[in-house]
Amino acid sequence: MKRLLLALLLVASLLPASYAADETPQPKIKVGDMAPDFTLTDQNGKKVSLHDFKGKKNVALAFYIFAFTGG
Amino acid sequence: MQAFQQNLAKLGAADTQVLGISMDSSFSNQAWAEKIGVTYPLLSDWGGDVTREYGLYNPKYKAARRVNYLIDKNGKVIEMQLDSAAIDPSKVVQACEARKLNR
Repeated sequence: MKRLLLALLLVASLLPASYAADETPQPKIKVGDMAPDFTLTDQNGKKVSLHDFKGKKNVALAFYIFAFTGG
Repeated sequence: MQAFQQNLAKLGAADTQVLGISMDSSFSNQAWAEKIGVTYPLLSDWGGDVTREYGLYNPKYKAARRVNYLIDKNGKVIEMQLDSAAIDPSKVVQACEARKLNR
């Protein structure tokens, strides 16, 4: 019985940590910040960098959750 | 992302390049781009390094949060929309067109 209580206590102590992991991330980059540069591969295998557009175009950068979903 | 495709001509006319980004593989992005007719780059942040650098990694879904950034020609963030507000790109379009008029 004592062991069971101890086990329950242990589980309870772990719960807040797992809830914390579910929290929505808070963006580190906000309006007024410099956008960190990156080089990534597009759907056709071509490398695209943010700095490719510097001094030439604005960039609308849209982070999406998963391919094959709405939005 | 289809909504950005529908506004691509307007954004292009306002000197703006659209880039989609997610933690999907390039292979998934290729299949999805074909399916929904996206012609702008869909970038694969496989592993999520860039997503983490922007503070958008959601451990619950092991994916990015839905966020739009409008970045000016100097690399500075001038607009940002989160979650459901990020789906409709009309604010981004308006901001780009306003900047063009003010130049």
